[in-house]
Amino acid sequence: MIALESLTSCFQGLIPSWLYTCSRAGVPNAAILSHVDYVDSRHVALSFQFFNKSKRNISENPRAKVRVYDPDSMRAYALRLRFVRTETEGPTFESMRLRIEAIASYTGLKGIFKLLGADIYEVVSVEAIDYEPGMPAPSPALHSRAQAETRLPFTLKALQEISDRIHQAGTLDCLLDAILETLESIFGFRHSMLLLATEQPDRLEMIASRGYPEGGVGSEVRAGEGIIGLVAEARKPIRVAGILRQMLYAAAVGKCAQEQGLKPADRRIPLPGLQNPESQLGVPLIVRDELIGVLCIETDQSYRFHEEDRAYIEVLGGYLAIAIQNALLKERTEEPEEHVSTKPRAAAASVPSSRHPALKVEYYKSDECILVDGEYLVRSLPAKILWKLLHEHQAHQAGGAVEFTNRRLRLDKTLNLPEFKDNLESRLILLRRRLEERCPEIHIAQSGRGRFRLELGSKVELVEQP
Amino acid sequence: MWPVAAKSLISDELAAFIESGLSINVGTRDSELEPDGVVAWAARVHDDRAQITIYLHNDAADAMLRNLRVHPEIAALFERPTSHRACQAKGSFLSARPAKASERAEVENQIDKFSKDLEAIGIPRAMSSGSQVWPCAAIQMRVSELFEQTPGPGAGKPLQ
Repeated sequence: MIALESLTSCFQGLIPSWLYTCSRAGVPNAAILSHVDYVDSRHVALSFQFFNKSKRNISENPRAKVRVYDPDSMRAYALRLRFVRTETEGPTFESMRLRIEAIASYTGLKGIFKLLGADIYEVVSVEAIDYEPGMPAPSPALHSRAQAETRLPFTLKALQEISDRIHQAGTLDCLLDAILETLESIFGFRHSMLLLATEQPDRLEMIASRGYPEGGVGSEVRAGEGIIGLVAEARKPIRVAGILRQMLYAAAVGKCAQEQGLKPADRRIPLPGLQNPESQLGVPLIVRDELIGVLCIETDQSYRFHEEDRAYIEVLGGYLAIAIQNALLKERTEEPEEHVSTKPRAAAASVPSSRHPALKVEYYKSDECILVDGEYLVRSLPAKILWKLLHEHQAHQAGGAVEFTNRRLRLDKTLNLPEFKDNLESRLILLRRRLEERCPEIHIAQSGRGRFRLELGSKVELVEQP
Repeated sequence: MWPVAAKSLISDELAAFIESGLSINVGTRDSELEPDGVVAWAARVHDDRAQITIYLHNDAADAMLRNLRVHPEIAALFERPTSHRACQAKGSFLSARPAKASERAEVENQIDKFSKDLEAIGIPRAMSSGSQVWPCAAIQMRVSELFEQTPGPGAGKPLQ
């Protein structure tokens, strides 16, 4: 029998599969399957989302046949199956559930487009369809080209290389960029983003991105929303391939559900980053059971995340998490003890001047957010930090630059920082990057380890709102 | 025994859908109730709106006919990849014959439409073209039941 392990490309969900069953009375049935999951060398899992005819047939007659396609060669394989059991928990169920919920959250179909169970089947035989009518004859040239394009990027050598490059990053700021740069140069991932946990337990904020014109630093994702929120909630890597096709499948379910009187959730979660990603991979960054963030990689092509990538991806996530955590601790322990001058200096020449006489900076106390000239800038702790910096800057004469230390901010009771793990460094990086994107007239410049200057290219008018 | 007359006739709209260049899968079974299935190319709904001729490659038809000649129960699933609209026709096998040369243009027309639909969901034509269309067999079935097959809670409900 052809080894199931050799068919991992067929289990990416890039090409729909077909399920054939038969009732006890002898009536055959054909059905579309969004995904067939590899379980082990003798078993596959099919998603059970609705009590449909296939499910009824299987309860009467455990025999089934599934036809899967290798997306690299378009060769078809027929797997003769025997139903074994339905799982409603465990790693196979969880992996399938998370992928389906990611699609559901993008399409506003949470609660309707969901996994009821993972139907486990024993694979009795695997037959390669040498001549598949309806699909092209297997093409060795096409296959080898596709193989070359989709070669496994996750190897020990690549992990070693990423480790070497990350070790060279001297600060957390440099480390974040080094991670995303390395993902592109070593693994070929051109679109990636890093989100870190915030002081609010159910939220992550984007602190660095690569490959997106709009940047997006400061964007928030709630736990359970989209692939990133689900990764944060489940603390497991999630990979979704063939997103467009799967969203169309979900949309068909949604339309059908509405016709049945079921109301899909109104709220749709916009896809992060790319407008139409084909594949997404979310990797939890965990240190000693603590989620510190999520790495999200997107491709606009159908990248095949192979089953054997899973272990490497988890190792990569663990490694990046430790690297970020270490950088945070290092910056905190190496903060300067000495007092620094708050005497204003001339603003750096690079800080652009405002086109207006003065920027109107409004701080809304109830929402803890800041608007500049009526446009949202930042919220929560980064907003409180900026408000404090601007006030101190104003107190030491308007214009020019005023120097601060992380340590002084950390000891400032008005910021209400937790005594342990305050994430101040990452909040400052987020604030600085957000200002660069949205308000370059206000600039935070690193002036040494644990110290920075606030530079203003324009006068500011500070207005506190209730 | 399977009913001779169709319970539900195929509407004009549904006939147009079935002939619009879709993904077509045909299910059969053997004496052990072991299900089997093949991919088909094209379909034509007869004027009586109770019969469908399905076109598929000879090689696929051979395997399918081994089942159908003993067990005439047949299921044909028609699906549009971009919308996932789908319906399933169930009924009984009537006859098989070689497809005529005059039917080839329509078979190729439906394949072309199907390929364009696949392109819209990211499956390039390079992947879905180059198939060996001919020689085709024409399998005639009598439809006794029609079912909604668009994925979701309504899948499996009879179509009137």
